[in-house]
Order: sequence, then C-alpha cells, then structure tokens
Amino acid sequence: MSSEAVVIEKLTKMFPNPGGAGEFAVIESLNLQIRRGTFASIVGPSGCGKSTLLNIIAGIETHDAGTLRIIPQEGAASTARIGYVFQSPRLLNWLTVEDNIKFALEAQNIEKALWNQRVKKYLDMVGLGGQERNYPLKLSGGMQQRVAISRALAIEPDILLMDEPFSHLDEITARKMRVDLMHILEHAQPTILFVTHSLREAVFLSEDVYMMSVKPARIFKQVRVDIPRPRHPEDSRLFDLEKDLVKEFFAVLELSQQ
Amino acid sequence: MNKHAALRWLSIIAFVGVWWIASLLSSPEFLPGPKAIGETIIANFLTPGPEGKTAEFHIAITLLRIFATFSIAMLAGIALGLILGLRPKLEMAFGYLIPLSLTTPTLLAVFLCVLWFGYSETGGLVAVIFTVTPFVTVNMLAGTKALDKELVDMAHAFKANRSLLVRKVLIWQLMPYIFSAFRYAFGMTWKIVALAETFGLKFGIGYMFTFWFEQFNMVQVMSWIILFVVLMLILEHGVIARLEEKMFAWRPAHSY
Repeated sequence: MSSEAVVIEKLTKMFPNPGGAGEFAVIESLNLQIRRGTFASIVGPSGCGKSTLLNIIAGIETHDAGTLRIIPQEGAASTARIGYVFQSPRLLNWLTVEDNIKFALEAQNIEKALWNQRVKKYLDMVGLGGQERNYPLKLSGGMQQRVAISRALAIEPDILLMDEPFSHLDEITARKMRVDLMHILEHAQPTILFVTHSLREAVFLSEDVYMMSVKPARIFKQVRVDIPRPRHPEDSRLFDLEKDLVKEFFAVLELSQQ
Repeated sequence: MNKHAALRWLSIIAFVGVWWIASLLSSPEFLPGPKAIGETIIANFLTPGPEGKTAEFHIAITLLRIFATFSIAMLAGIALGLILGLRPKLEMAFGYLIPLSLTTPTLLAVFLCVLWFGYSETGGLVAVIFTVTPFVTVNMLAGTKALDKELVDMAHAFKANRSLLVRKVLIWQLMPYIFSAFRYAFGMTWKIVALAETFGLKFGIGYMFTFWFEQFNMVQVMSWIILFVVLMLILEHGVIARLEEKMFAWRPAHSY
C-alpha cells in the first residue's frame, strides 16, 4: 500500500489572459505529495491559484499538463472518494441538514443501509447531533460550515479538500472551529489538504505546510511541523515557527516581484 | 385569526358594502345588489338553467378545461425553458421565436384557432396552450440564468449524477420561477378559457356569460361573473398559496 494519498507531478494549468490574446500559466510544473492520514496545508497569497489546484484535484476543473493521482485506501472502492469543504458552506438550503449529508452519500453511491448511521456519526462528531431535521438557513454561519464539514466527512473520503473553510467566519468562531477540527480529527483520520492564506492557521493545524508562490503557482518550500497534538493556539513554538516562515515568505515574494 | 386574514376579510366586507350602497343608488337593471346576485347564484345551483344544466355542471366543465390546458402549458413551458436554458446553442437558435408568441394578441390567437379548428373544443384549448406556454418558458429561461454555479460545482465535486443534480440542486433553485410562472399562467389560463367559452365553446361559465348577455339579463351576467371570480380566488389562495407555503418551508420567515 502506498504511503501517499495524493501524488501530483508537473501539473500545469493555463488561463486565458484577461482581455487579451494568449494564455498564462496559473500553475506551472507543480509537484506535491501528500502522505496518507496527514494534515497538509498549502499557504499562499490570495489569487495564487490555490483554489484552482483544489478544483483540479476535485475534478471540477481540468488541467493542461502533468499527472494527478489520488490513491484510494487499500480495500476501498477502486475510485478515490474526495470530500470537499468550500469557503462558503454551499449547502442545499431547501434540504434538511440530514438530507444535505445524504445528498453526498447518494452522489457517492454509498449503500442506503448505511446512510442513517453515517448521518448520526458525523453530525455528532461536528457537535450538531439533534439538528438532523433543521434547515440550513435556520443555523448560524459557523453551524452551516459544520454541516458542510460533516457532509464531506460522511463519505469517508480518501482525501478531504478544505478551501479556506473558516475565512468567512468571524475570528472567534473560526478559532473555535479550528480547535474543534483538531478534536474531530482524533476520531476520523482522513488525509486532508487544507488551503489557506494564513500561516498561523496552517502551522496550528498541519503536519506538513507547503508554501506556494504566485504567478505561476509553485511549491517553493515544505515544512514539517513536529509539535505534537493536541496543540494549543497560544503555544509559543507555533508563533516562532510562524514568524520564521513569514520572513521567508516575504523574501520569496520580493524576489519574484523583481 | 391573524392580522393579515382580518384585514383581508375587512376589505371584502368593505367591497360588498360599497357595492350594496351603489346598488341602492341605481336601478336593479344597471347594478343589481349583493342580495339579488347571491339569490340568483344559489338558484342557479338548485334549478336547471339553459340547456337543462345546473351551475355545477358549467363550473366542472370550465375547471376541467382550465386544469387540462394549464397542466399541458406548464409542463411544456417548463420543459422548453429547461431545454433552451441549459443548452445555449438551442437558445441562440430558437430563443428569438419566443417574443413572436408573446406579442401575438390573445384575442387574435383565439380567432386564429377558431378559423383553424372551428368552434370546437380543440380550437379553444390550442389557443390557451399557444398563449400560455411561452410565458412559462420565458420564466424558466430566466431561472436557468440565475442558477448558482457554486452549488453545481459542489454537486460535481461530490460526483452527483445528472438525475441527482436535477432533482436535488437545479429544480429547487428554479422553484421560485416555477411558482411565479404558475401564478401568472394560472391567471392567464382562466381568462383565456373564459374568453374561448364566451366566443365559441359549448357549456362552461364563459358560455353562460354569452347566453345571458344575449338575453340582456344583467342579474345573471353579474351572478356568473361574481361566481367565477370567487371560484378563482378560492383556487388561488386556497390551493396555490398553500402549495407555495409548503414548498418554501425551508426559507426563514423574514424572507417572505
């Protein structure tokens, strides 16, 4: 069994130039390997192509060159299951919380007999047990995002993609969600690829941090965060690491702008 | 009874009151009062009128015509709108035809159909379908333009197949458009059915308008008009509004 869950080699994605002829590379020759069962973050400035990369992995967008492999867990279905948590919850507001999760289960052809058990397990896990029959618009933004997380977890994905999932929440809620996410991951251990523009968030959450440059997007540095979990958001080791990485980031950004 | 319902009843009572006072000030041949009309409507139900039929027979015929044409026009309009809306090439090719049927005056459509099909059931019904379908289509087209791409992407990310996408993602986003088309189409349908009945169809409420109009019987003409309006109000508020409430239960109350 491979110890990698995702292997990306020389991935390139072209976009048409805005208002002009020709194309430019949003992502160029990007290499990335994500170890199974780990939490990996990609950090980069806004508009660097992070979301595009996740969309390519999710199969929503195509790519122009390179290879992308998502390796399913041993004994699992032949095609890899991909869970996706977006910036906004993207729930189907006309369906109950329960039916939103079942939507993903149905889409993934998961046996109907398992549905109720999965709904209960993963709603409990995000702390929303008892909200099954409620409608999304009656929940707060943070709770809606929890539903989105439990929807993505419920399909028991080989890889869970998270695209700045807390960036639309107020900082207090976001902070609580980050800590809660850590607790959730003690129970479910999916492979996670998390995208953010916040080094602090990445350092707090991840085992591997990948730093991404802009135009074209490339990984220029990989850092392993060896601080054991559970981590405390105020841990000074996290701050120190963040400080070092920020410095490095600016050095690279300045270099690329010259 | 809540405030809204109370206001509504109050407005109905006020309307009948104004009508009653106006009828006292004029002659019964010009404006019959609520009492005369009410008695005539009840009598129409109890004793057979022209053609030996009581009121419920004509009501049943009219409702059947409305129901049949309305169902066909709604289904055809929704299907057409979806097909055109989700396939831009088809819309480019055929979309320009929609204004053609939208701008054809309703009366003209009825006349044309009478010329084509004679004073037959088919003629009247085709006229209704021809006039109502494009309105539904236009509404659905607008709905497909407003589909949320983020939700469609979400569905694709979870690998939803086409049927699941339509059932759980698309149709619900179109629901407000379907309902506004529903209401509008319903209003159009009953007006055109009444028109077609007035002009040529045998039996039905519109037929009774013409019959009593030709006798210059003001009380009967007004009785049938009032009966017709009351029926449509009941359908609109009793059936369509209830259905709408159910379909939109997921919306928080303040967005109504």
